[in-house]
Amino acid sequence: MKAGKAIGFIFLACLYLLPVPPAQAAADDQTLYEGDSIYHHITIRQDGGERCMIFGRQRDLRQTCIDLAKPDTAIFEYSAMMFAGFLFRPDAKKVCLIGLGGGYIPTVFRMHLPQVHLQTVEVDPHVEKLAKQYFSFAVPPGQTLAIDDGRQFLKKSRERYDQIWLDAFNSDYIPAHMTTKEFLQLAKSRLNEGGIVIQNLFCGNNLYDAQIATFQSVFAKVFVLDGQESGSCIIVASDRPACEPAGLRKQAEKWGGKIGRIDLIAEAGKCKVAPALKNALVLTDNFNPANLLLMQKK
Amino acid sequence: MRIVYAVFILLLVTFGAVVMSLEILSSNLMSPYFGGSIYIWGSIISSFMVHFSVGYVAGGYLSRRSPRIAVLAAFLVVCSLWVILIPAFYKPVCELVSDRIADVRLGSLVAMNLIFFVPVSIMAMVSPYIIGITAAWRRQSGLTAGMVLFISTVGSFFGTNITAFYLISLFPVSRIVVGLGLICLCVSLFTFALRADRRMKR
Repeated sequence: MKAGKAIGFIFLACLYLLPVPPAQAAADDQTLYEGDSIYHHITIRQDGGERCMIFGRQRDLRQTCIDLAKPDTAIFEYSAMMFAGFLFRPDAKKVCLIGLGGGYIPTVFRMHLPQVHLQTVEVDPHVEKLAKQYFSFAVPPGQTLAIDDGRQFLKKSRERYDQIWLDAFNSDYIPAHMTTKEFLQLAKSRLNEGGIVIQNLFCGNNLYDAQIATFQSVFAKVFVLDGQESGSCIIVASDRPACEPAGLRKQAEKWGGKIGRIDLIAEAGKCKVAPALKNALVLTDNFNPANLLLMQKK
Repeated sequence: MRIVYAVFILLLVTFGAVVMSLEILSSNLMSPYFGGSIYIWGSIISSFMVHFSVGYVAGGYLSRRSPRIAVLAAFLVVCSLWVILIPAFYKPVCELVSDRIADVRLGSLVAMNLIFFVPVSIMAMVSPYIIGITAAWRRQSGLTAGMVLFISTVGSFFGTNITAFYLISLFPVSRIVVGLGLICLCVSLFTFALRADRRMKR
């Protein structure tokens, strides 16, 4: 009897080990892809003309969405707000973007900012593959893509950038090692004179305060753009920005008010000097309770 | 004899808990240098498994050669001092390794072994050593081998959860590591002070 049970168990174990057909088959018309990379569970869904890449199991954690007919339309408010970086550093020639997702930001650069060299860094090779396959992402001449951890890339890189855009997210949030003072000091050391760092994040939690305080501990000037239609915020930090919030509108007008379909004048209106937060914690490699702070909603 | 059992339980719970606490904390030590990917966890877990296996063999061997708690405690003092020093030397070690080795998988594996081989191997000696000591007794021991592993694993359960759920949110990592080292040092010195070997002969 015992032997029978053991054989049954081994048989079941073997069944479990049999190769499973890849989970690519569409469960319904809207799921174009579902599968796992070494970092995330990734789903690609389409709703009408809108296609989204989702990490993890929660549908609301959409990393990238594009409008298939007009791929330079900012479906997410944050991605439009990030382009306000060009108001603080209008003459930027080299930009480093950490976090590819479906490749919306590189697409806007390709279509409307061809004079800017964009270096994109993405940790997950599978995300790159899916971006190419489902989001018509391509690396055009004048852009480069590296598959590496953002922090490791900056550490090894000898390049200097005019703007560094931080948009690295996993299925939880921003990877903790890319929220600390040491990381921001590293990013700052990779900036040209007057360069800026732009961070995409959510505002409704205590981690937001801690991240502002951390930016303020590294950079002389820290500004925030408050999302009006979403819970997203953008931090812009620099030691010597070309422009202060009061002058942004004028700067936006110099750009003709737009980068592609992104309304720079509207984005400029969302900007203010980051508040001084006396009690907020500065995150370091040594002490980074990011998970706890993220759970504490404001 | 009761005191001897109490010492055994104290050692098993403490080092069972600290070893898993260190395993959780090591991800925070590694991620700034090698990224926060699944690779880091692969390196951490596999490194600890190597250290455990070395510790098991060494603990079993040494307990047969000299089945005395004092010998084990002496090793544990060395281990505790090493743990206390980790916050002071892990940065230059990780820095050096990540500069020389571009592949984060190999890099994190090397760094994990440089930092944790000595203390974790010694901590892993505790269970087999105690089993060896009780086996050397000329009478039946109240602690079976299974019971020894059970107590140590219960310690590990608490060490893992307390660290991941609370300690990392409340204290800087370096302070937690030094704190763990100090607890280990106190327990090891306390074990010496009790002279458990003499009590066993009675």
